[in-house]
Amino acid sequence: MAEPSLDLEALMRNSQSGNQQTYAALLHETARMLRPYLAKRLNFDSEVDDLLQEILISIHKARHTYDGQRPYKPWAYAIAKFRLQDYLRAHYADHLRHAVDISELENILPGDVTESAISYESISGEVEKLPQKQADILRLLHQDGYTAKEVAEKLGMNESAVKVAAHRAYKVLRSTLER
Amino acid sequence: MMENLDDLVNKLARDAVPVKPAPHPYVLSLEWIAAAAAYLAVSLALSGTRPDLAAKFHEPWFVAEICTLLGIFIATTISAALLVFPDLHQKRGVAFAPVAFFVLFLPVILFAWHADSPSAPLPVHSFECTVSITLMALLPSVWTFYAMRKFASTHSRWAGGIALLSAFSIGALWLRLHEINDSITHLILWHYLPMLAIGLIGMWLGKKLLKW
Repeated sequence: MAEPSLDLEALMRNSQSGNQQTYAALLHETARMLRPYLAKRLNFDSEVDDLLQEILISIHKARHTYDGQRPYKPWAYAIAKFRLQDYLRAHYADHLRHAVDISELENILPGDVTESAISYESISGEVEKLPQKQADILRLLHQDGYTAKEVAEKLGMNESAVKVAAHRAYKVLRSTLER
Repeated sequence: MMENLDDLVNKLARDAVPVKPAPHPYVLSLEWIAAAAAYLAVSLALSGTRPDLAAKFHEPWFVAEICTLLGIFIATTISAALLVFPDLHQKRGVAFAPVAFFVLFLPVILFAWHADSPSAPLPVHSFECTVSITLMALLPSVWTFYAMRKFASTHSRWAGGIALLSAFSIGALWLRLHEINDSITHLILWHYLPMLAIGLIGMWLGKKLLKW
């Protein structure tokens, strides 16, 4: 049986008058509503949880900008989208600063490693130790030769999430190979 | 992970003191427009209006220019008030209305330029007008940014740019009603083109000052 839909606008109006129980119910419902939206756009559950918490804090801070007259969902989604963009921007910047492309791994390998020894196959053992999704992405990108867009389609992710995951994997590989 | 989601929800719920919803953006913009109009009136009363103002109001292109400038001021103020709400108060079309007024302003100035024959002489001063407009716009800018920081903009760059354009248009209106100067070339170069730079500065300020 389908869950009865909550009147989010009424919940918010009650919350604004200081009803703590209603407010808790509203935040739970908002989290439930936003989770699939974030999960579609992010790679890991831990990221979704972190961002969800940031969004709930933002909703709390901005609750005076909601008047109870207009639909609640577009208001909540606007905040969620804003925080998601912020998060992706910060993470892209971070990953671009630290990322190393697989073609650059040659520079950090020990000196006696020949060029042929840094093929994908030579580090495939390390790649397989990565989390399953990251390993799949690197295999598709560097062994099977797919583009990030094609990988995204194959894995049902979006292109930016594929790039972020690949950069994360490069970072892990780099630290492993440097040891 | 920061903390458990349930713990956070409980913590936020415990903090849920009654809050007064923000005024409707139209009410907010009306307050800002009224304050700006009072500021403009006082400034004109102190600095004086141009002596030929009554005669100028019989010239159609001067009237069109002033009306469009007034339109820009009102549209940017309403837009700034909408842009401080995360969802633009679900009035996205109205929030971007200033674009229409800026587009309208171009032909008005072009026609005024075409009608300016023989051309009015260029005044001896140049950048002083930009400086005067900027100084005049300073107080409304500070006040608008201060007011906007109480809300939660998800379009901080746009909100900043539009807020400065609104303040700058008050300055531009003041100077046009105060200074005896009809050189369209001068107006374009030192009154209106700097608006582009002001808009960009506003976007930068918006990103810095409207974080929440």
